[in-house]
Amino acid sequence: MAADNLPSEFDVIILGTGLTESVIAAACSRVGLRVLHLDRRNYYAGNWASFTFNGLLSWIEEYKAQQQTPSTTSEQGWNDQIEDEEEVVFLSSVDSSISNLEVFSYASDKSEDDELLNSPVVGSLPKAAEEMNGCHKEAQDLGSSSACTQGDGDPHNLEVKNQDSCLSEESKKTDQQPIRSPEQAVEVKKKITYAMLLKEGRRFNIDLMSKLLYSRGLLVDLLIKSNVSRYAEFKNISCILTCHNGKVEQVPCSRADVFGSKQLTVVEKRMLMKFLTFCLDFEQHQEEFKDFTEIPFLEFLKCKNLTENLQHFILHSIAMVSQDSPTINGLKATQHFLRCLGRYGNTPFLFPLYGLGEIPQCFCRMCAVFGGIYCLRHSVQCLVVDKESGKCKAVIDTHGQRISCSHFVVEDSYIRDDQRMQTTYKKISRAVVITDRSILPSQSDHQISLVTVPPLEPSSPAVRMVELSSFSMTCMPGTYLVHLTCSSSGSAHEDLAPVVSRLFHVPSSCTEESIQGSEENEKPVVLWAMYFNMRDTSGFENSSYNLPSNVHVCTGPDDSLGSDYSINLAELVFHQLLPDEEFCPPAPNPEDIIYDGDQGEGAIFEGDSQKEEAVIEGEDGSQAHKQHGATCSSEPAESTDSIGHEILTEYDIQSPPLGNSP
Amino acid sequence: MAGGSVSECKEYLFKVLVIGELGVGKTSIIKRYVHQLFSQHYRATIGVDFALKVLNWDSKTLVRLQLWDIAGQERFGNMTRVYYKEAVGAFVVFDVTRSSTFEAVSKWKHDLDSKVKLANGNPIPSVLLANKCDQKKDSSNNASLMDNFCKEAGFLGWFETSAKDNINVDEAARFLVEHILLNDKGVPYEESNGDRIKLDQDPMPAESKSGCC
Repeated sequence: MAADNLPSEFDVIILGTGLTESVIAAACSRVGLRVLHLDRRNYYAGNWASFTFNGLLSWIEEYKAQQQTPSTTSEQGWNDQIEDEEEVVFLSSVDSSISNLEVFSYASDKSEDDELLNSPVVGSLPKAAEEMNGCHKEAQDLGSSSACTQGDGDPHNLEVKNQDSCLSEESKKTDQQPIRSPEQAVEVKKKITYAMLLKEGRRFNIDLMSKLLYSRGLLVDLLIKSNVSRYAEFKNISCILTCHNGKVEQVPCSRADVFGSKQLTVVEKRMLMKFLTFCLDFEQHQEEFKDFTEIPFLEFLKCKNLTENLQHFILHSIAMVSQDSPTINGLKATQHFLRCLGRYGNTPFLFPLYGLGEIPQCFCRMCAVFGGIYCLRHSVQCLVVDKESGKCKAVIDTHGQRISCSHFVVEDSYIRDDQRMQTTYKKISRAVVITDRSILPSQSDHQISLVTVPPLEPSSPAVRMVELSSFSMTCMPGTYLVHLTCSSSGSAHEDLAPVVSRLFHVPSSCTEESIQGSEENEKPVVLWAMYFNMRDTSGFENSSYNLPSNVHVCTGPDDSLGSDYSINLAELVFHQLLPDEEFCPPAPNPEDIIYDGDQGEGAIFEGDSQKEEAVIEGEDGSQAHKQHGATCSSEPAESTDSIGHEILTEYDIQSPPLGNSP
Repeated sequence: MAGGSVSECKEYLFKVLVIGELGVGKTSIIKRYVHQLFSQHYRATIGVDFALKVLNWDSKTLVRLQLWDIAGQERFGNMTRVYYKEAVGAFVVFDVTRSSTFEAVSKWKHDLDSKVKLANGNPIPSVLLANKCDQKKDSSNNASLMDNFCKEAGFLGWFETSAKDNINVDEAARFLVEHILLNDKGVPYEESNGDRIKLDQDPMPAESKSGCC
């Protein structure tokens, strides 16, 4: 905690603690480089971060503050540290990667009533319309869009919302719809109030970016290979759902699902199994698709005489590609999906306990264990570039200290626009919704679901939704945390609010009558929602920036479901730095570290062999606070009992399912 | 456990954090406790993540302690959540020969309490270690002052330790584990741990929901 000065020389300085930068930091540190890893924020993981509920509210406040007073802090103290043959390249002090942030709260709050009494402006829905003080153009529309998702443009709506109070609500129920539904929720089950969200806020881990891990994707492989996996635990996604014909249906993806499906006819089951079996090794059957390679996947599916049902499942939920994606991409995506099935469970996906924001921190821990130095709330104001070589030889940090480095790795959001070759960006639309129950309540055992929502209208984007239960350690018991993600065509609210109101009960958007209807009652009630856009710079390459050759820019998260893009980029940058070094070799297991009393505290790594010691069993299973009701004997207690598990999930190519396929 | 006799036995795995300023002897304490080693030479901790100690607590209880060192270089206090999560106990260490390290104890305790809590929302049990007591110059007894400090700061208690001379290290650990076990009995672990997945495990055979064929 001491604020002593940093060393003045490093091999690599890394600015930004998102996934790509953190993987690079761990990789460099692991092979012996001296790494300084900085982030200007007071939290790890940048746009990959996850927050407690209260932490997220602070993040929102910071965003608001930044919108109101764009930081104009011009740091000093660099001039006298620059030599004649050097020049400076400034970095951006403002992060503009987040935009269009809007927050809506529908959870009623008894405890706030007292405050409301004293307040001249009271909100029936406390914190509803917590717009960004009008500093955003988009936020100006907030009143209308939040009060009624049907697009009622009446600006009066905002006033209405801000003026009805919970108290007056009770007395004059005539024209006040919004309050009805939270009240309804109470009758059904225990009501979650805003105060409870705050009180239990620490149980939330709300990710800014929502992704899943493909069980055979690059990130899982890297976690295993590097032993960084010891810092994290995962849940298997328990079911994959899709929005189809106005209903939420389960997607049959494993063989068992297909057999068990009630939505599919016998003929469809057979068709689907045949098609999926083909996809598993489609390269072997060129004749089947060679004429379609560049033709949209949907055309190919139609040509295969798959029913509309099956086309929907394959296109939107299994391949998860857009309608106009070429067939070859659709086939590859389907194959990847199928190959990931069964490694850890019934679906191809894993989710990290405590949220995705855990993953960059795992790599940071590994970096620190191998000597990397970490400072948050600490940034770089400018690079010192040698005029002759054109290379960055040092940086001046925000405390005015000059620190030498051979390489500088930086997250895109620290780059100024004038250093970019292009300044138009793609964006990702995100929504975070806290609800009171699962979207598929009948499914009692499911804990994490992926829901694919095809475009509601031809012009709107396909939306990916992940619903997390409290077992994922990302929300308080009694609530569900729902992440919606799509590539932006408008603002996040424009893109995603229609989906939210289709799938959930948004209290202010419904008339009294419709709430009474049983159908509405079954929909999860939205307690709190947040919308924002995140810049997607994933298309950029190093040539997209006008920067010295030893400055490596890491783009932020892309909009795809997996993290392959970010891992590929990390490996690429690492090999630019160190062409001959191994990328993330396994870290030794703690029990393999042999201390040599005479040689100081240097830990000697005894290879990476998985040797077992007498008292310490090889598998330490670092789940602390776990109580085994095990039987102590000389036998290892935890021989996983796999009896009773049938391996039915993976597609068996040798014996095609349902027998006699032609 | 000996002789392969099969008896009902509870097994616990506890993650315990060892925190404190740079150079107060965190790693030395861990090494003394786990490996029965001490070295005069100082080097910032590299490559040491956590160490395991197995305690045959009593005839019915086996405790595996996982002692997490702060990676020496996370020295600016910016610990990752990976470090704190699911910890059930902590040692906060200071060096009796350097008063600045004692002054930092409250900061570390505060940081600890803000980052990790027991399932019931209480702070995790923590014990203060006054390390390097073998080098203490004045033999004045500040015991009552320390008792008060612990009470105010929320420590269960404190021990004068020396990793070098092996003083009180085992005792402090035993004291902490006793309290962790008390908590464990008081607060049943609520989460369903059953289907948590560790990636380094052999993938489990996939479960099939429907056996219809």
